Amino acid sequence: MSTGQVEFQRVWKKFRTGEIHNRLRDFIPALVARAVRRRPDALAGGEFWAVRDVSFRLGPGDALGIIGPNGAGKSTILKLLTQILRPTHGHCLIRGRVGVLIEVAAGFHPDLTGRENIFLQGAIMGMPRREILRKFDEIVAFSGVEWFLDTPVKRYSSGMHTRLGFAIAAHLDPDVLIIDEALAVGDAAFQAKAIDRITELVRSAIPVVVVSHQLETIASLCTEAILLSRGMAVQQGTPAECIAAYLNAGGGAAADAPVVTAIRIGDLRLGGADAVPSGGRITIALTCEVADKGTAASESVGVRLRSSQNGESVFETSVLALGQDLPLSGAFVARFDLQLNVPPGVYLVESFVWNRMAGRELTSGPGGAVQVRGGPEFQGPVQMNPLVRVTTGGER
Amino acid sequence: MNQPSPLVSPGTLPPPATARSADSVLSDLRAIVRDLIQFRELLVELTLRDIRIRYKQAAMGVFWAILTPLVLLLSGWILRLAFGRLSGETPNDVVMAGIAVKSLAWAFFVGALAFGTASITANLSLVTKTYFPREILPLASVLTQLVDAGIGTVALAVTLPFFGVHLSLAFLWALPLILALIMITTGAVLLGSCANVFFRDAKHLVQLVLSFGIFFTPVFFSAGNFGPAGARLVMLNPLAPVLEGLRLSMIEGHNLLMPLGAASGAGVVWTPWYLGYAALWAFGLLTAGAVLFHRTEQVFAEYV
Repeated sequence: MSTGQVEFQRVWKKFRTGEIHNRLRDFIPALVARAVRRRPDALAGGEFWAVRDVSFRLGPGDALGIIGPNGAGKSTILKLLTQILRPTHGHCLIRGRVGVLIEVAAGFHPDLTGRENIFLQGAIMGMPRREILRKFDEIVAFSGVEWFLDTPVKRYSSGMHTRLGFAIAAHLDPDVLIIDEALAVGDAAFQAKAIDRITELVRSAIPVVVVSHQLETIASLCTEAILLSRGMAVQQGTPAECIAAYLNAGGGAAADAPVVTAIRIGDLRLGGADAVPSGGRITIALTCEVADKGTAASESVGVRLRSSQNGESVFETSVLALGQDLPLSGAFVARFDLQLNVPPGVYLVESFVWNRMAGRELTSGPGGAVQVRGGPEFQGPVQMNPLVRVTTGGER
Repeated sequence: MNQPSPLVSPGTLPPPATARSADSVLSDLRAIVRDLIQFRELLVELTLRDIRIRYKQAAMGVFWAILTPLVLLLSGWILRLAFGRLSGETPNDVVMAGIAVKSLAWAFFVGALAFGTASITANLSLVTKTYFPREILPLASVLTQLVDAGIGTVALAVTLPFFGVHLSLAFLWALPLILALIMITTGAVLLGSCANVFFRDAKHLVQLVLSFGIFFTPVFFSAGNFGPAGARLVMLNPLAPVLEGLRLSMIEGHNLLMPLGAASGAGVVWTPWYLGYAALWAFGLLTAGAVLFHRTEQVFAEYV
């Protein structure tokens, strides 16, 4: 049983922009300035907080996904976790051996052979020589570079390079695992192998931290998530919640000026669990209110599902399209019941107000996200509830 | 999340200050030793890497290890021969053997300082992308040079008898002196590599030492060449008592616990106090280098 633990306690990290004094001549004035400045915590010119008051705690079996736009502080948190950087304030504690699937080939020396680099990179990752010797054949087999083991890695293709690096990192048996973005290395066959290995590691009941722009990865690997924005944790909870918040915040339909509509959508509520099996049903309840009785008849409300992978709309419908009428006054609830015949993944649920006369969307309402899991094995954009029967002999 | 994590929007919330615990030099040293024990395999691997890459695609192979001290030695001999002609006295084998011993030691110091100072900046990707105690990098440079010096020592041991040098009990003095040399070198390398991270002109300063240090250090000459007062001045250089001690004990078979007068008869060129002086530098420089390095290494990734 793993004893790994990760604790991130109100961590702040300050960075400078621009050049830092890197000559002795500039050093003395900087020292004086530092001595004179009264509050060392205050931000001086060009300084900013890359991470602001972020906290989380992970034990065995917890997998945390960190999402957010570029520059939100994701990589900084990874560097704080791996101890490359130290927090300006707060504490970052990790118990156990840390396996890092970032820069898996950082320690390689181009002039050394693959064999020599396995020992070097392994030592950098904290593997004793004995352990590397024990796992050597496994590592080599996994990487698929057997034939080039005694060739300097500078003659390797970039694919072989990262495959070897990944193979070493993947055999570390860590107590804590940290994964960045580049889960996808090598060709399709190796990628599948790599993802399998990562999934195996994540499922092995150790604390895991994953940073990725691929929301699918976060949704399928993680048990919890943090949405970062400019260094702050703006959302912390289930992966679906964070992904929804992320897509809503960054989503295109952020209304600049509030459009006045006759019907207002106050709330969107998803029925059922966060995760639905492919082919399962969900309900989407829109709590609405008619604000202007005069023009309400020309408006309708609807829902749309987007794939979080590429943001494309996969499904859209409205009360009007389904042949129903809305009340012309007061509050009402429109409840949609959908069967999710879609491949596994995270889908963003949006609501919108529709003008039936103009035939266009007026404004978008609140949203959410639903995670589709499991279901039958299939390829393609539509889940067709496949059944198969194999018969032998003459039966037609 | 094991703990309730409310949505915090810190804004202008004053950050919780991490109080720096009262660090003592001793606790720093303990931490360094702990780190080194934990990462000893990495130290070995990095040293092996440095040695291997030097001999990869290298025409002369192991000969490189003795080339630098050999060139130094030849320069020294030429200089002494030239000055010998001027003063009318030909340097004898003992003088030449002394230059050989000191050249080897100086080559070790210079090589370690050159590679060690650049070790952090040269391994940029390791420092910014992976974590390990950064001391490992300069220490691996010193170890690499030490391996070279070891090869040089073997070569020297084979040749010394031809200069009429015989093994004596005084040879044992070489052990503490070599230790002092390693300590002084390591201290200087730690200071240099650390300074080089923060100030890019630190390497120019080191370059000065590498180029001209030999004129201020008794490698080609001996402290005694300058007379009693001059000798005392020359011996202020922390490497001087180490180098002169090596020469006196190994070549001249002198017991370093005994004072030694100048060849001209007047004054003293060696007193046992020099041993203490060298030891003081060795411990002082190593401690200062290690502690300063340890206290600043946490921010290397941001400055390098």
